[in-house]
Amino acid sequence: MRIKIDGIEIDVTSGETILEAARRAGIHIPTLCYHEAFGGQGICRMCIVEVKEGNRTRLVASCTYPVNGEIEVKTSTPEIERIRRNIVMLLYRRAPNSEFMKRLYEEYGRPADITPADPEESCIMCRLCVRACEKVGSHAISAVLRGTEKRISTPYDEPSPDCIGCCACAQVCPTGTIKVSTMPGKYEIWNKAFEMDRCESCGRPFVPPVILEHVRSKLGPEFTEEHLCPDCRKKKTGKIMADSHMSK
Amino acid sequence: MAGDIRQAAALQEMEQIIAQYPAERRYILAIMQDLQKKFNYLPKEGLQMTARHVNAPMSTVYSMATFYKAFSLVPKGRVNFKVCDGTACHIKGSQTIINEIYQCLGIKPGETTPDGEFSLETVNCLGACAIAPVLVANQKVYAKVTPAAVREIIKEHGGQINEPAVNE
Ligand code: SF4
Ligand code: SF4
Ligand code: FES
Ligand code: FES
Repeated sequence: MRIKIDGIEIDVTSGETILEAARRAGIHIPTLCYHEAFGGQGICRMCIVEVKEGNRTRLVASCTYPVNGEIEVKTSTPEIERIRRNIVMLLYRRAPNSEFMKRLYEEYGRPADITPADPEESCIMCRLCVRACEKVGSHAISAVLRGTEKRISTPYDEPSPDCIGCCACAQVCPTGTIKVSTMPGKYEIWNKAFEMDRCESCGRPFVPPVILEHVRSKLGPEFTEEHLCPDCRKKKTGKIMADSHMSK
Repeated sequence: MAGDIRQAAALQEMEQIIAQYPAERRYILAIMQDLQKKFNYLPKEGLQMTARHVNAPMSTVYSMATFYKAFSLVPKGRVNFKVCDGTACHIKGSQTIINEIYQCLGIKPGETTPDGEFSLETVNCLGACAIAPVLVANQKVYAKVTPAAVREIIKEHGGQINEPAVNE
C-alpha cells in the first residue's frame, strides 16, 4: 500500500504506524513519549499529524495511528505547529528543570512567558520509565495520583520489593529525573539500595545479585554460573579464542 | 493484644472480600470498591492481597487506587466531615468552611488528623442546595454552615480547638 507523507510516496505494510513509516522515509516527526523499543503510547500528542482520507481531514497521534488505507499525511501545518507549541508550553510550565525541556522550550521559540508551577520539577510524565520497567525490569513503578499531582513512583513511595535495580527506567528517562546514586560497592535507586557482588576474577563490585537472579530466570539453562564482570568476561573469551587458534 | 486480634480479623475480612472475585485483573476496581466500603479506606494489606489474587503488579493496583477520587488510602477519622462542594455550596462559600477546618484541625480534603479523630473530604452536590453550604459529620447534616458554626461542630464532636487568645 502506498501513502503520501509531506508529498513523498512511501510503501507501507498494513498496520504500520504513520510515525514508523515516516521514520523509515527519513521524515522527522517530533515525539516525547515514543521509544523504538516500546512503540507509541499516545500520551504526549507531540507527534500529531494531519491525515487526509478521501476529502476528510483530521488530526491524529502518528505514533499510535496504524495505516490501513490510502491516506495523505502532513506532518507540519500552522495548526499542528500551534498545538505542538502549546504542548511544549504546558510541559515547560509543569517541569522546567531539565536540559531536555529547556532546549525544547527554546526550540519552539519560548511559546509564552511562563512562570513554572514548580521550578524544581523535571518529570514530563512521558512514562517511558514505566514502559522500560515493564519490559526490562519488573513493574516496580507506575503513575500515581491524578491531575496536577500525578507523578511516577513506587507504591507508597517506599523501596519496592519488585524493583531489581536494573536502572532501565533511569536510562530511558529523557529528562534525567530518575536518580541513581552510587556509593562504593553499591548504588541506590527509588530509595532502594543494591549491594553489588564482586567479580570472582578481579574483585571489582559489578552487579547486584537480584539482577543476576532476574537474568537467570529469563535465560534458564543458558545462564552462566560464572561470576565475572564484563571486562574479565571479555578477557576470558578472548583468551579462549586465542588458545583455540593457537592449538590449530 | 487486642490490636493484633482486630488486625487478624481485618485481614480475614479482606481475604473474604477478595476471594469472592475471580482471579482476573478486570475485577481490581470492583474489589477496591468493596474494600473501600468495608473499611472506609483501602488498607495496604488489602491492596497487596488484591494484587496477588489477580496476579497484577502492586504498582498497577496502587496506581489505580490513587487515581480515583472515590478511594482513600488513609483511614477516615472517627468523625468524617463531608463538605459539599457542589455548585450551590461552592458559591455560598464551601471554601471558607474548608479553610476553617484547616485552621482548626490542620487537615485538607482527603486527609486525616494524626490522632485519627477527624478526617475531611469534599463531595459533589448532596441535593440539599436550599440549605447551602452543607456539611455532613458522619451521618449528621448541618445547614447554612459558617466558619463560626464549624468551630461549634468540631467541639460538639469532641474536638479541641485552640481558641484565639482573648484579652480581658
Ligand atoms: S531499576 Fe527498578 S524501577 Fe527502574 S526499571 Fe529497573 S526494576 Fe524498574
Ligand atoms: S521520570 Fe523521566 S521517563 Fe519517567 S515519566 Fe518522568 S520524564 Fe518520563
Ligand atoms: S509520541 Fe505520539 S503521543 Fe507521544
Ligand atoms: S451544591 Fe451542595 S447541596 Fe447542592
